[in-house]
Amino acid sequence: MTGCGVQSPVGLGVSEFWEALVAGKSALRPIAHAWADDLVPNVAAQVPWDDGDDDRAGALALRAADEAIRDAGLAPGRVAAERLGVALGTTLGGMSIFEAWQVAGHAVPGLDHVPYYAPAVRLARRHRVRGPVATPQLACASGTHAVAMAASWIRAGHADVVLAGGTDLLCRFVIAGFNGLRATSDVARPFDARRKGLVLGEGAAVLVVESEAHARARGARVLARVTGVGAAADAVHMTAPDREGAGAARAIRAALAEAGRTPACVDFVSAHGTGTPYNDAMEATALVRVFGPGGVPVNSIKGAVGHTLGAAGALEAVLCVRVIQSGVAPPTAGLDEVDPACAELDLVHGAARCVSAQTVLSTSSGFAGANAAIVLEAP
Amino acid sequence: MSTADEASAVVVTGYAAVHAPALEMLPEAARSRAARSERITQLAFSAVGPALAMAGLATTDGEPRARVGIVVGTAFGCLLTNAAFERRLVQGGAAAASPRLFAATVSNAAAGEVSIVYRMGGPAITLTAGSAAGLVAIGHAIDLLHADQADVLVAGGVDAADTALEEWLAGGGMRSAVPPGEGAAMLVLERATHARARAWPVQTLIHTCRAGFDPDDEAAALAAPSGFAAAGPMAVLAAMARLVPRAQETVTLACPSGHRASVVVERVA
Repeated sequence: MTGCGVQSPVGLGVSEFWEALVAGKSALRPIAHAWADDLVPNVAAQVPWDDGDDDRAGALALRAADEAIRDAGLAPGRVAAERLGVALGTTLGGMSIFEAWQVAGHAVPGLDHVPYYAPAVRLARRHRVRGPVATPQLACASGTHAVAMAASWIRAGHADVVLAGGTDLLCRFVIAGFNGLRATSDVARPFDARRKGLVLGEGAAVLVVESEAHARARGARVLARVTGVGAAADAVHMTAPDREGAGAARAIRAALAEAGRTPACVDFVSAHGTGTPYNDAMEATALVRVFGPGGVPVNSIKGAVGHTLGAAGALEAVLCVRVIQSGVAPPTAGLDEVDPACAELDLVHGAARCVSAQTVLSTSSGFAGANAAIVLEAP
Repeated sequence: MSTADEASAVVVTGYAAVHAPALEMLPEAARSRAARSERITQLAFSAVGPALAMAGLATTDGEPRARVGIVVGTAFGCLLTNAAFERRLVQGGAAAASPRLFAATVSNAAAGEVSIVYRMGGPAITLTAGSAAGLVAIGHAIDLLHADQADVLVAGGVDAADTALEEWLAGGGMRSAVPPGEGAAMLVLERATHARARAWPVQTLIHTCRAGFDPDDEAAALAAPSGFAAAGPMAVLAAMARLVPRAQETVTLACPSGHRASVVVERVA
């Protein structure tokens, strides 16, 4: 990884994002839009930027990618177009345009941005990409698998550089849907005894994932190395996580195996930590299965930025890069009273903590029993 | 093939394709679950089930198999389900949101349902890349097998179509050389060494799979799909049927969205 870019509810750009997380800030607020008036609850985390672009998910991704490319020092033309790829996850894509079309009952501008692959296409066209372009669709694990897909393409020799990440927007469709499942709350409290549900968020994060040889040849600064990836299905239920955490544990173990690391090597875990009763209990079970009680510092950023769905894993990958760079783990915003069911985790909360982070793990889980994990290491 | 080539080769041990849901041939566990599912999931079951049966891997009992998984490519994903969910929202307000439909408004719903029934606890990955998604999925599966992330991966493409899809395409002014269609085509892929270890006959291997993109393909609208994601894997199956032993063929697919993919198929016996 040689560059990072972020558009998040707590900050535009990696620096603002990181400083807000370390300070324990949260961007969860009531939605100030008429379309949210009948949504209960209607709290969410919005990105404080809007240029009126109908394709908000695409626009957020472009801005995140611009920052990542600048951060990586990738001047135009420094990568052969055929060796440049895009792996950009999303769960909603142009859903707000789709909503407008359904309400209007006739054609509206931007319908060509509706397909899930449209944000990746937009990013690929902007940067004249001729290498592989795909949109991972693992629900809320899409952003994590985008990084894994990028690493897979590079290891297989399909690309030298991949713009990898995720993007999603807030819209009525998704909030009404999660409210209907009774999975939401007006405050996100990951791993807290009082947690009642998730709070949705929006955002985008893009990372420049590059082959080590290519990065060295151009003298790039390496931020972190992707050393292991893993994915696994729960194969249990479509919306509820496996209470045994077996699928998540399989994904974590697969990533550790590819990295050639034992659980004892891991210095920090960025958990999925949505704040729903079932997810957090499942994840605690999975992490204890792999790492043992109190085996590793763990946090979740969803109390700060909300659950950003297809962007979540990408934002958390950027978080992991910054943890490696700084040796600091941000606190879990919203966590005050640790749930006894999660008490065997070493949860970072209350204040940021110094960690000696050479090897970190990020995990994500989603609808349809999807699980993904990546291992990042110091350069 | 040299010993080294053979060790890394990915072979096809099962396959199936359908142009409409065909649930009657499925085992009861799959048939009953598919009958309650969205159309795209029914199509996926209709190809995955027979493909796994052909490969001798159609288990529906026991613990999830950690080394068996699925990689699905789709052009439109859950668009039809999204339309059904959204219509209820528009007509009945937020209170009319259907939890059952919402659970299927993720494109990986088909992969999830199939994993549950066929006890696949390995990677369950769905991706979109226009109508090239089926071939891109096969390519991603090959990479995952080479990286030892699984022993067996079902890979291919699936899409469902109806009037909502046609209205969306027309509403967006999206031209398409090939009308949107529906269907599913799935291949069971494994490393040659794995197939040999379980003494399973092999006729076909897949040499290489490449994905690319054409940023200048402006002749069509930004994301106009062409055909459907099963088209590429169906072309692979057609090539497999045509090939004589030791012959090979390259299957390519270009989508107006800019996505490109190609696969080299070889008949070995």
